[in-house]
This record gives sequence, structure tokens and C-alpha cells, in this order.
Amino acid sequence: MIRWLQKKILHLMKVPAEPQPPDGSAGSARVFRSGRNYYRWRLALWFSANLGVLILLAAVSFALARPIKAGPPWSRYIAEALMASLATAFPVSVFFTFLQQRMNYELRWYVVTDRCLRVRSGILNVHEITTTFANIQEVRLSAGPLQKLLGLADVEVHSAGGGAGKGSSDSHAARFEGVDNAPEIRDFILVRLRQYRDSGLGEKDHSRPSAFSEGSLAAAQLVLTEARTLRAALARR
Amino acid sequence: MPGAPIPPEIARLERPREELLTWYFFKALATLLAFPVTMLVFYFRYHTMRYKFDEEGIHMSWGILMRHEIMLNYSRIQDIQLHSNVIERWLGLMRIEVQTAAGASDSEMTLEGLPNPEAMRDFLYSRMRGAHTAAPAAANAAPEPLQAVLLEVASELRSIREILEARKA
Repeated sequence: MIRWLQKKILHLMKVPAEPQPPDGSAGSARVFRSGRNYYRWRLALWFSANLGVLILLAAVSFALARPIKAGPPWSRYIAEALMASLATAFPVSVFFTFLQQRMNYELRWYVVTDRCLRVRSGILNVHEITTTFANIQEVRLSAGPLQKLLGLADVEVHSAGGGAGKGSSDSHAARFEGVDNAPEIRDFILVRLRQYRDSGLGEKDHSRPSAFSEGSLAAAQLVLTEARTLRAALARR
Repeated sequence: MPGAPIPPEIARLERPREELLTWYFFKALATLLAFPVTMLVFYFRYHTMRYKFDEEGIHMSWGILMRHEIMLNYSRIQDIQLHSNVIERWLGLMRIEVQTAAGASDSEMTLEGLPNPEAMRDFLYSRMRGAHTAAPAAANAAPEPLQAVLLEVASELRSIREILEARKA
């Protein structure tokens, strides 16, 4: 039932399909996912937030009950209508925010290949970042006390893109959020990073000799033939 | 590969899709009272927006009063981000944010309203540094044939000099 509903929602919101590793490196791709505890952690947050709302609503209605009873009859009608609409809206919102937590957990992919990584997350706002290891500047591991207790950590992979973007704290980082095998991921990335010794700031790709040998080789051959004929002409005189 | 010809469907791109204006309309609606001003800005932004993808990089320009032109080299791309919210996806749009190492706090270039954003992302990725090789192997090894030809040129020149010197003597 929930599966079916999720499928419908994804379809309605036109959420793109699971991210594919970029061309040319499909064989080496490895997909990491958030840990199971990350889901539990988010559910705990969801639960406490909704509990807070419930307590707040109860407190407000309790505090207002007496003045409304004493007030004119129209105020009672308004209060009753308000209560009825809240009583229906709250369970609906609880259900849909639960679905949101569930899908947020399921719709996270951290794809690492031999030369690049691609991280995707989000339902309403889908966010995907792709970067190559040639551009990666640093890898960060962080875990708060609660995360540690749950065996979770965030791995952040930064490229040289400078700023903190709008809204999020740092839009230039590929975040592997709530993974339960952070050290493994870090080592997996570091092994690939070690192959690059340049600064990652746009130097030429050394690895493509063909890129400059094609044209310059032909030119050099031309110079050679010129030099040969010149020598021959000189020698004949 | 750098210098390789651009796929024709990308080289042909110049204008964003019409749906972008619809999206701008919703975006301007969100500014409530400022709607007339923001819509006007967006309207001109949409109508003056031009893209050009050539072998070197991306050119993008927009604006009349505030004219913007950005040129960005493919090889300097640091990361490519794809953003979309529900309304954009309903309209079939996605934003591609291209980051370079320049210090600006926003993304350097936001490609909006492109017809096939995912194909564009793959294209940009294929031009990125480090997308083609797992590791820069043999960093300083000059290519053998070029070296051989240059050495031969040098020896030819040397013999020319010798001939000239012999003649002078």
C-alpha cells in the first residue's frame, strides 16, 4: 500500500529515476547508501516534531476553551470549525511527513566510480552533484555525539568551487549523509585521489598525449622535410 | 576530449525553452507585492538570454540595463549540479549549476531552460578534467614519435650548419 502510494507520488512529482554512473566508468561504479540508523534517526526527529505540535495544539485549545465558552455564540462556531479542520489536517500531515521521511531516506544515492562521484538526494527539491576526482580538494568526516551513538557519520567531499551557496551551508560539497561505513568510504575515495598529484585547479590533463601529439607531430614532420630539402639544395651547389 | 567537435544538437542551442518564462512567472509570484518589478526583470532576462556552446567552453549572456556575459572553459569546471523543484519538473525544466574555482559565493553559471538537461550534464561531464582517465599515467613522458621527429630535425639542421661552415672556410 505504502509502496504503491510512494510510486504514485514519485510519478506525480516527476522525480527522475535512480542516478546512473556517468559514461565510461560504469563497470567501476559503487553505490553507497545511508545507513538504516539514519532512517531511524530521521523518524525520531519526525516523531518528536509532531509530538511538539500536538502538545502545543492541546495547550492552546485548553487555554482558549474557557474564554470561548463565555464569549458570543459565533466565536464558538468558529472555534469548532477550526478544531475540526485541525483534527483532520493533523493526521494527514503526520502521514505525509512520515512518507517524506521514508522517501527522503530511500531516495539518496552516493555513486563513486574510478574517476568521479555523483551524489543525489531530495524529493521536492532534487539535487544532484557530479564531480571528478581530478577536482577534489578535500574529504571531511564529521559525526555529532548522537550520530556517533547510532554509528553514523557524514562524509563531505569538497571541490575547489569556492562559496557557500544559497540556502544550504555549502553547496560545493558532495555530502554522503548518514552513512554507517564512513571510514570505508573515505578510504575508497582517498585511494582514488592519491592518483592525482596536481593541485586540481585546471592544469592540463597530462594523461592525454594524443591531444597535442596529433597536430604538432604533423607540423614537426613538415619542418623535417623542409630541413631535408634545404640540406639537399645546399649540398648540390 | 578537448577540441572534439560539439554534438550538433548542443552547438545549435541558443535560446532557453519557453517554459522558462512560465517558471519565472511562478518565481515572481512568490515575491508577492514586488511581483510587477520582478516579473519585468525576469521577462527581459528571459528574452535576452543567449547560450553558445563552442569547442572551448560556454558563453552565456543576458540583460539590457544590467548586461551580463559569462564565458567559462569546460576544463575549468569543478563540479556540475542539477537542481529542480516540483514546479520546474512539471514544466520539464532543470537548472544546471556549473562551478569553477572562482571565489564567487553563488554558482558561476546557472544554465536554465535547456531542452535536455540530463544530456547536457553528460556532455559537460565528458569535457571535464579527469573524466576520461582514471589517473594521469606517465605524466611527463613526451610522446615517442614527436620526439623522434624533432631529433631528426635537429640533426638535419646541424648538417646544414656544417655545410655552410665548410663553405665559408
